[in-house]
Amino acid sequence: MIAAWLADKGRLALALVAAVAFQTVVTSQLPILGVTADLFLLLTVLVAISRGATVGLVFGFVAGLTADIVFLDPVGLRTFIYLIVGYGVGWYVEEFGLPSAWMVVVLAGVTSLLSQGVYGIFQFIMGSAGGFMAMTRLQVLPAALVDGLLAAPLYVGLVRLRILPRPDAADPSFR
Amino acid sequence: MPRKTVARRRLVFAALVLTALVLLSAFFREPATGVLHSVQRSGFDVLSPLQSLASRAVQPFQDGYRWSKDLMRANSRNREMTRELESMRGQLVLLEEARQENDRLKSLLELKDADIFPKGSTFVTARVIGRSPTRWQEWVQIDRGTADGVALNQPVVGATIPTDQSLSGKGLVGKVIAVGEHAAQVQLIIDPESSVAAVVQGASDRPEGIVEGMIPGKLLMDFVERDKVVELKRIVITSGFGQIFPKGIPIGLVESVGEEDVNIYKQIEVRPFVDFSILEEVMVLTNPAPAGEAVEDMSSIAPQQDMGTGGQ
Repeated sequence: MIAAWLADKGRLALALVAAVAFQTVVTSQLPILGVTADLFLLLTVLVAISRGATVGLVFGFVAGLTADIVFLDPVGLRTFIYLIVGYGVGWYVEEFGLPSAWMVVVLAGVTSLLSQGVYGIFQFIMGSAGGFMAMTRLQVLPAALVDGLLAAPLYVGLVRLRILPRPDAADPSFR
Repeated sequence: MPRKTVARRRLVFAALVLTALVLLSAFFREPATGVLHSVQRSGFDVLSPLQSLASRAVQPFQDGYRWSKDLMRANSRNREMTRELESMRGQLVLLEEARQENDRLKSLLELKDADIFPKGSTFVTARVIGRSPTRWQEWVQIDRGTADGVALNQPVVGATIPTDQSLSGKGLVGKVIAVGEHAAQVQLIIDPESSVAAVVQGASDRPEGIVEGMIPGKLLMDFVERDKVVELKRIVITSGFGQIFPKGIPIGLVESVGEEDVNIYKQIEVRPFVDFSILEEVMVLTNPAPAGEAVEDMSSIAPQQDMGTGGQ
């Protein structure tokens, strides 16, 4: 029982370490639509979808803390945002289920949009000058699109690597 | 779901939210040498070699992508330019005016390589190995750190080799805001928190102001008195005030001059000499204030702190 629990958490930790390497080596070097995908946020969303709110929020906390260190952001900022994301997405899926694979894309996109929004509000509070519309056009919307589109292949990959459980095993109605 | 599980989940949620907020608060309260900054700096030092390696590995692909993109654009651009040429042929008078303006600008641009930056400057050339993950901030990571003589607040300038006599690619890039052993973080001048004391060159009354970064990636020269005359296409250079950037580093060209009835200052849009979207190599001025140049009192510069942030 303990061994299974450790193996399960070990897989998630491994996924996070892989995300650090991938984010640093690949994603940050190859911007799409002028923005880079946020693998830490995507992992949080996918873990929350497949493991529920409790694991989602703890994973979000750890992933956010890692992102703060990797992205050189104020420590605690992404930690706060991602744990909310992990909890929120996990709660949503527990309440309403995951009827289709498209929901993964939609949830990742919407989550990215909201978390970018919160991040933006923090930037404005900290005194960043700039236009709301311009940043929405140049950062928030492209990032939501990129994160949303990347969520599906990442989800498939993580399921195939057995890091996340198959969705249809838990929900037979999943298409 | 059992009530006990729900209660436990809420407890974990509240505890983690509280921890995150405490971390955030502690990060802003602690000095740059504090625990959280140190942890972040360690991560920075561990990841920067990986990033440096990745940057080199990805470079050919990026070049290939850029090349194919340029090729695709070339055809349509050719047609566009042919049309433009036809139109220009009918406008000889305007061209003559442009030629005269060009002569004037050329005389300003005769700064040439050695004279572009303050005399006696020494440089450390560095590769850009990473960029800010969002456009809320504008910074790059370079592959030179304290081991190479890079220190906090040192100015960074472009190292792009120009194809003509212009200053293109050779202007001010930003300043070092965080430094590790083999890597450093450079805040670009287009970052919303960046501010550089500047002066418009060539104007008789030398209008001075502050060049600030604007989201998304633009430069605005503010605090220029309204009675000062600012012409378009004039060169904006650092004024040397503020003690980080020495006097005379080119920043960009005056692109537009705005005045509002409610504003006591002019607002000048400046087009930077450096194209920040293709920044690959930069030079760090490791002795930004040589004798006889603009910074008069180095002793007043704040003591160096690693991983510190803030505008000029």
